[in-house]
Amino acid sequence: MSFWLRCLFLVSVSMPQVPAWADESLIVAPETSEVDISTEFSGKELKVIGAMRGPGDLIIKLVGPPHEATVSRETKVGPFWIKSATVRMVGAPSLIFLYATAPIASMLQPAEQQQYGLLFESVPVRFERQLQAYAADDWRKAFYRLKKKQGYYHEDDGAIKVFGNRLFMANMRLPGDLRVGKYTVEILLVKSGKVVGRDVGQFEVRLTGIEDLVWASAHDYPWLFGSLFTLLAMLLGFVLNVIPCRRMR
Amino acid sequence: MELFLPIAHMDVNIVLILFYGAIVGFLSGLVGVGGGFLITPLLIFTGIPSIVAVSSGAAQMAGTASGASYLHWRHGNVDFKMALILLLGSWLGGGFGVYLAEILLRAGEFGNVVVFLYVILLGFIGVSMLIESLRAVFRARAPVPGGPPAETVPNSLLQRWFDHLPWQTAFPASEARLSVVGLLILGASVGILTALKGVGGGFIMVPAMIYLLRLPTKIAVGTSLFQLLFTTAAVSIMQAGVNHSVDPFLALILILGSVLGTKLGARLGARLPGEKLRLILALVVVAVAAKMIVTLAVPRSEIYDMTVDLRR
Repeated sequence: MSFWLRCLFLVSVSMPQVPAWADESLIVAPETSEVDISTEFSGKELKVIGAMRGPGDLIIKLVGPPHEATVSRETKVGPFWIKSATVRMVGAPSLIFLYATAPIASMLQPAEQQQYGLLFESVPVRFERQLQAYAADDWRKAFYRLKKKQGYYHEDDGAIKVFGNRLFMANMRLPGDLRVGKYTVEILLVKSGKVVGRDVGQFEVRLTGIEDLVWASAHDYPWLFGSLFTLLAMLLGFVLNVIPCRRMR
Repeated sequence: MELFLPIAHMDVNIVLILFYGAIVGFLSGLVGVGGGFLITPLLIFTGIPSIVAVSSGAAQMAGTASGASYLHWRHGNVDFKMALILLLGSWLGGGFGVYLAEILLRAGEFGNVVVFLYVILLGFIGVSMLIESLRAVFRARAPVPGGPPAETVPNSLLQRWFDHLPWQTAFPASEARLSVVGLLILGASVGILTALKGVGGGFIMVPAMIYLLRLPTKIAVGTSLFQLLFTTAAVSIMQAGVNHSVDPFLALILILGSVLGTKLGARLGARLPGEKLRLILALVVVAVAAKMIVTLAVPRSEIYDMTVDLRR
């Protein structure tokens, strides 16, 4: 804990360096600038610390790199449910976590929430093929609903701890299937229903060691990788059956 | 004990995956099925993307089948000549199946046609086998004087048609005389299914060998496994080459788990009489068909589903 208090102190003394455009001084710093995915990676607890001047409500928005997804819909035919349509969706963030000191809906009007990208339903997502407006709306709503259900779009109204109206800290639980790429951490200071301060931090998620090697081999030399690995799998299955049998003789 | 899978891009519990491998290995050793129909849904249930589950499952089946077919070969249960003819047929059928899949995909009915064909086929084979094997088990318990022995399977119209196909050849290992054309047709049918559904087809091949070719159950199991080795190896290489979706860590853990299961299955299989092995296989096939029907019919709380692309 004393380590984090020291970090908070350092953030606090760096306050004069806040961007000039901010109306209210505010600064945010993720615990690290890089999250490495290695063999034992199973998610990560990431601390975001920051400092502000005076009281106010806070919102932290974590946004992951964009991804592509295929959404499918089923229709009931007789007693059975069958897949009736699929749509490819591109450009939406793979992950959005919203952390706040109070329910965001009680802090900001919908227009303001939309302006700062705090409404999941307003997150930009494109369709690979042209759809009728009413149909597109259904698919878009389904996309947001599924992302929320799977826990990738998530809001937590009590996740930020504020110390003496000056320092704050939030624990972000990053999932085990975190996508590789740049993540942005945006902090908003809200007073009297208005955003009065903003700062943005960043960190990068990357594969390292054997994970990176396997990924690169599977994508750079797919046929060679597939052939060699399948041969290895067959040899392993064979050897593991032969050796114990011979020992038993 | 967690491990991050680089291609599936998620962490899994190693013990759980070892357990899955053991279950599939046991079935492979016992009744000669690759277990693709079982391992794929188990892995998807764990959260692994479906394409990675299918592809890594194929790599695992290649590993499991190599060990299991060795064990069956040691027991004299593999008819190599027949396996090679079936394999040739399945590769020809697989090539045709890829084109058929493309036509169905263009028509927009691929998934539904395949699922319904699959359920009908599995249901028919499973129920027929279940009835026959139950009769055989009861016959074996209380043999009727002058009645057929338990290992004999009844004659059918399809069998009689099969017996009249040209190019009849002797298969000494199986002590049978069969049509090469018929074997090629059988192999091609399974190959088409493999291309459409991504399964090895052991659960179709084994019943067909028992009931259509009237091979002893153990020969059918061993020969099917040997043939499966090459089919699943080809699927694994193609999935890695085209979709980059074979996760080596996942496949290796599954293989390790399956080794123990295969040994247990093969040992039990060697002790069990043919009709009981057929009963077990019938129960597995019926269970898979029933599970598919329930999955299709169960009321939905959410009619939409999402698959995220495999990109890092």
